[in-house]
Amino acid sequence: MFFFRMIKGAYVRQWKKMLVIAVTVALGASIATAMLNVMLDVGDKINQELKAYGANINVVSRSASVLSNLYEIEGDDEVNVDSYLKEKDVGKIKTIFWAFNITDFAPVMESSVTVNGKKYKAVGTWFNHHLELDTGESVDTGVINLRSWWKIKSGEWINEQSSDLKEVMIGSNFAEKENLSVGAVMTVTGKKGGGDYKVRAVYSSGDAADDTFYMPMSEIQKLSGTEGYVKKIEVSALTTPDNELAVKAAKNPDQLSRAEYDLWYCTAYVSSICYQIQEVIPNSVATAYRQIAESEGEILDKTQLLMTLITILSLIGAALGISNLVTSSVMERAGEIGLMKAVGAKNSQIIFLILTEIFITAIIGAVAGYFMGFGFAQVIGRTVFGSAIDMKGMIAFIVAVLILGVTLIGSLPAIRLMLRLRPSEVLHGR
Amino acid sequence: MNAKTKMFFKMITSSILKRRSRMIIALLAIIVGATILSGLVTIYYDVPRQMGAQFRNYGANMIFTSSSSDAKLTDEAVKEGVKKIPAAELKGYTPYRYEAVRINKQPVIAAGTDIPATLVTSPYWFVEGKRPEKDGEVLVGKTVADLIGARVGESINVQYYDPDEEDDGLEKEGVDLTVSGILETGSTEEEYIYASFSDLELITGKTAGYDVVELSVSSTEANLEKYAKSVEDANALITARLVTRVTSSEGAVLTKLQSLVFIVTAVVLVLTMICVATTMTAVIAERRKEIGLRKALGASNASIMKEFLSEGVLLGGVGGVLGSVFGFVFAEIVSVNVFSGSITFRPFILVLSLLASIVVTGLSSLIPIRSATEIDPALILKGE
Repeated sequence: MFFFRMIKGAYVRQWKKMLVIAVTVALGASIATAMLNVMLDVGDKINQELKAYGANINVVSRSASVLSNLYEIEGDDEVNVDSYLKEKDVGKIKTIFWAFNITDFAPVMESSVTVNGKKYKAVGTWFNHHLELDTGESVDTGVINLRSWWKIKSGEWINEQSSDLKEVMIGSNFAEKENLSVGAVMTVTGKKGGGDYKVRAVYSSGDAADDTFYMPMSEIQKLSGTEGYVKKIEVSALTTPDNELAVKAAKNPDQLSRAEYDLWYCTAYVSSICYQIQEVIPNSVATAYRQIAESEGEILDKTQLLMTLITILSLIGAALGISNLVTSSVMERAGEIGLMKAVGAKNSQIIFLILTEIFITAIIGAVAGYFMGFGFAQVIGRTVFGSAIDMKGMIAFIVAVLILGVTLIGSLPAIRLMLRLRPSEVLHGR
Repeated sequence: MNAKTKMFFKMITSSILKRRSRMIIALLAIIVGATILSGLVTIYYDVPRQMGAQFRNYGANMIFTSSSSDAKLTDEAVKEGVKKIPAAELKGYTPYRYEAVRINKQPVIAAGTDIPATLVTSPYWFVEGKRPEKDGEVLVGKTVADLIGARVGESINVQYYDPDEEDDGLEKEGVDLTVSGILETGSTEEEYIYASFSDLELITGKTAGYDVVELSVSSTEANLEKYAKSVEDANALITARLVTRVTSSEGAVLTKLQSLVFIVTAVVLVLTMICVATTMTAVIAERRKEIGLRKALGASNASIMKEFLSEGVLLGGVGGVLGSVFGFVFAEIVSVNVFSGSITFRPFILVLSLLASIVVTGLSSLIPIRSATEIDPALILKGE
């Protein structure tokens, strides 16, 4: 009972000092919590940002003709359905093992059409398509997120849900050549039909899409007589940077051992996602768009490493701050300890008393600090990425171990000093 | 130096030397604070440059095309245009000339280019085998390779049919090239074959300018737009365009990253400053007895304040200098490990962290000194 009275006494008499320790521990703990959380989540966050580069996987039919790609030599009347994918298969992308990592996808159909007597390549796609999957889930996806670099110069994106589908979005070069602007109506004639389309928007993309125009998928299929078929599917997926295993697997998954195969299949490498897409979509070939996939991996790695090093620096800072303060606060109490020794307290009793005091303070500080750090992490997430940082329970454990360890180490030199104190000297005031 | 100043310095140095362990604690706190400040601020300023270099992995972010449909870009025009872009920011440029050729009677597009330059403007190309190193070698896109059944090391015969001449249906004598590598990109590049300009001249039998020049420039989108304009002004033959897909996304991600480092720096900095302040407070607070004694001996509040403050400033200065050096070393380690490049030394960061540590240390010692000087010396000396 006396022990508790001593401790209670320490808190009542020295609440200011205890408060300073608790505040410092709380600050240290909040740095640790915030930085560790941000560090572990920064990969996902940057990955999301990199999705601005658009699709990183391209899915085409296995028998897609090379020639038509190169020279647009399409059979003038007959549509060769072998070289297309079925539109009803597109949604299956959302049923693969890594479905959660597929952020956006959209089928694309291209066809040569005639506008004002001139031949153009028209592109049909989903804009904001609503899709009911076989699994009962529903997905909203489309090209809007896959073309985030487009600048809409006038007008707005086609809305498949509300507007009627007789609309097109035209590239800036095309608009200039044909002298069209938003609201104008143009007549498009394809192989199997034609129609009047209202210009909904003029965009600038900085690439070949500026010379062409985009229209809803169902419309281009009517024009070209390819109902139910798409030429390719653009997929944007969150991927893990490639390593040796991924490179090996990309060449030929059959060469892997069973364990390697499982590891590869269950990791979100771009090659395993491609492989899984080929499994669910019949007669398809999925290829990684290297320019995007490779660079993303590099940038992700670098960012994560950068954040790890910054986190380590902050952790060292926090640890030194805490142990510093603990050391100096224990040293301050030389007089009190001298008195205890003089009245016959054993070293072990004194150490136990002091450690208990410090640890109670540290635990209170650490708990407060954890929640502060939680707040800091969310502030960082909100301001930088506009979304919450995913908090991991593991971090509470790491922070707890860290704080207790640091507090203990911080008290050690002071305690060693205490044990060497001679009561008479201390009490005499030296 | 008069006796008074001498005494002043003696008191300061002896107080630091005699109370070594406490001073080391305070100094350590200041050093850590200054290290974090200078290290993170240095990283903050260097991130756009270093990360920007990483983003060049995406390849070209600007292209030149000819502004007239009849004339191709000439070598002089391109050189003149490229000069308008600061040499430090221009990572590299690759001209391309496209011609329709036939291999095994299959129509294929052949690109003449400066193969070594593609390493910079298209670093993401994955080549099975290797990129051509000398004339007579050709890099074949994967789609084309599948189409004509070409493999690395084999020889292919490339023929040219002039689109302006009547096709007489006769078999032409082509040029034999060795396939040095198969190109995989997952994109349209797989549908071309790439050879040197001299090989393409040999195949077509004529020289011509460039169709497209790809440039990789490490700069912001706003600057790129400026460069594009000045290039077009410098030579009317060139139309310079940005690859918006690359430039706008790069800008977005870089801004996010920099603000991330900024906010992290700010949060960590505020917390470390509070840590330094609490440590200083604790270190000074235990010297109340000393302050009381001095007052009892007749020292004025002002002189006590001056002495303790100078001590704090000295401590802050030493800690600040050491901390800035450590911070720079830390930033350098980060830079070498993460970006495998050296960091730019910025003297103002050194000055900034030195000033910050002096101010923080000074201010945080001010508060406890003030409260100590306000108390009656008799009470302090009595031990209450």
